[in-house]
Amino acid sequence: MTTHLPLLDIRNLTKSYGAVKAVNDVSLHIDRGEIAGLIGPNGSGKSTFFDCSTGLARPDTGTVVLDGQDITGWSLNRIAREGRMLRSFQKTVTFRSLDVEENLIIAGQMFTFPSILSTFSIGKLSRQRIAGLRERARELIRMAGLWDVRHQPAGNLSGGQQKLIQFASMLMPEPKLILLDEPMAGINPKIIERVVETILYANKSLGVSFLVIEHNIDVVTSICRRVIVLDQGQKLAEGLPQDIIQDQRVREAYLGG
Amino acid sequence: MSLTQTSERARRRDYRIPLGILLFSVALAAPFIGSRYVVHALIIALVFMLPAHGLNLLVGYTGLLSLAQAAFFGIGAYTAGLLAIGYGTPFYVNAVVAGLAAGAVALPLGVPALRLRSTSFVMCTLGFVIIGQAIAKNWISVTRGDMGLSGIPKPYFELGPLSFTVGGTTGFYYLALAIGILATLAVFAVVRSPAGRNMVAIRENETLAESLGVPTWHYKLIVFMLSAVFAGVGGSLYAHYLTVVSPLTFQMYYSTTMLIIVLGGGAGMISGTIFGSLLFVGLTEALRITPELRMIAYGLCLLVLVFWFKQGFAPVINRVWNAIGGAK
Ligand SMILES: Nc1ncnc2c1ncn2[C@@H]1O[C@H](COP(=O)(O)OP(=O)(O)O)[C@@H](O)[C@H]1O
Ligand SMILES: [Mg+2]
Repeated sequence: MTTHLPLLDIRNLTKSYGAVKAVNDVSLHIDRGEIAGLIGPNGSGKSTFFDCSTGLARPDTGTVVLDGQDITGWSLNRIAREGRMLRSFQKTVTFRSLDVEENLIIAGQMFTFPSILSTFSIGKLSRQRIAGLRERARELIRMAGLWDVRHQPAGNLSGGQQKLIQFASMLMPEPKLILLDEPMAGINPKIIERVVETILYANKSLGVSFLVIEHNIDVVTSICRRVIVLDQGQKLAEGLPQDIIQDQRVREAYLGG
Repeated sequence: MSLTQTSERARRRDYRIPLGILLFSVALAAPFIGSRYVVHALIIALVFMLPAHGLNLLVGYTGLLSLAQAAFFGIGAYTAGLLAIGYGTPFYVNAVVAGLAAGAVALPLGVPALRLRSTSFVMCTLGFVIIGQAIAKNWISVTRGDMGLSGIPKPYFELGPLSFTVGGTTGFYYLALAIGILATLAVFAVVRSPAGRNMVAIRENETLAESLGVPTWHYKLIVFMLSAVFAGVGGSLYAHYLTVVSPLTFQMYYSTTMLIIVLGGGAGMISGTIFGSLLFVGLTEALRITPELRMIAYGLCLLVLVFWFKQGFAPVINRVWNAIGGAK
């Protein structure tokens, strides 16, 4: 029964900033195991849609249902921790003064320790938990090709490497769903390949579903089975990537109608 | 960050353990080496190190600037003073209750204050000190108003059949040293725990931490309370040492001193707080004999700090420490 429900089901989401309707009555669902794309011109409300889905911003109206549970109004940390829906940010962020390994360990902590209080322990059990996280972190670091820089402060690394850290961090907690906000923007082709590989690996081997905001249309057509187009806060089209890029309305929106 | 020192560099001879033993021996022998006045200065430094340790957790590790430390210091001092005068309770009871009282008061203050943005939060914490002083002045039936509490007995211990009073300066120095070491170990434990890592994450990027499941607000509240506990214990030492407590215990000058210790020593580094306490409090106390020079020396210290050691002295200390440890 539950397997027929979508993993993420968002209904009639609306969010205004002053007079700007950043997101206007958008409904969207993500199926289990799916990689879906979210595209649209700059300012069309994609990031705001992410913010409202993940608890960073509160939607004016609309409901967010994750895995059969209504999570509308939950905080960002609770949606990550209890819902296992994680997100990246358009502007790359890392814990800059901490090294790569520590960045990843932080990402796993709240999913390994049962309570806030238990994180204050330096006992044996606590150390074992951290050792487990360190092992997982090292696996992901190797996969992301960051092995040689794992003891460097994240802030010293290139933008592309920091994107990889951000991405690997989100895999630490064994997430159900990851929302990526322009993961390929401003990084060199070699790292783009690496990010694509990692997304596909996470999807196939770890069973993670994805919703990806991306402007690189080649990447979108190669990894997404379904694409949703936003324009001026509204859903403009939805379908197979090859159909979407042919769609006249989508072309007009991008050319700036 | 000292959290991440796992380098695989070749090592020369490690002199850190002998040096550590030497420093510890000097600390133990201080009352026999230094004059009475030096020992007094060291006691004051140790007393202020406690609220500074707490403040370092808040400012240095979690990235929250607070001026409330003097308020919790004052609460701890009054609590210990009232207990000692009113009930004659042993010192450790006074110290623990003083810490808990300060921590408990921090809860209802922290809940609204931590909702504010950073600058408003700082102003709000400043308000706590002013309110604390007003209460100490006006709640006369308990605090005796401007007169304050006087005749607070010397620290008294009751351990099984054994009971004794810590009377002289030397005795008090060892008491303060023991508590200072315990507090340092406690801070070390917090910083090394997974929670310590979350605190640094909050300082580095609160939204990112939040997006990775860290309940940042709860952590900030807990650390705010924890910092108050340290200040409260420090206040209890202060009350027992001076034997008097007045509304002036709640003063901005103390909050800024504690902040200078943390920032000047090096925020986010335990060694910095220890060094900062010795330098800024120990030195100013030591210079009290030459009052003309005191403020000038203090000012010069701050200038040197601002121009040459923007991150405090701790990075320098750490470098020297690592060099002694044989790192290339
Ligand atoms: N925090 C905010 N405050 C005010 N306006 C905002 C905020 N976030 C987004 N907007 C506005 O909402 C609209 C959609 O922005 P955004 O979601 O960032 O679009 P996209 O990610 O598709 O480029 C823009 O007009 C933008 O200026
Ligand atoms: Mg955007």
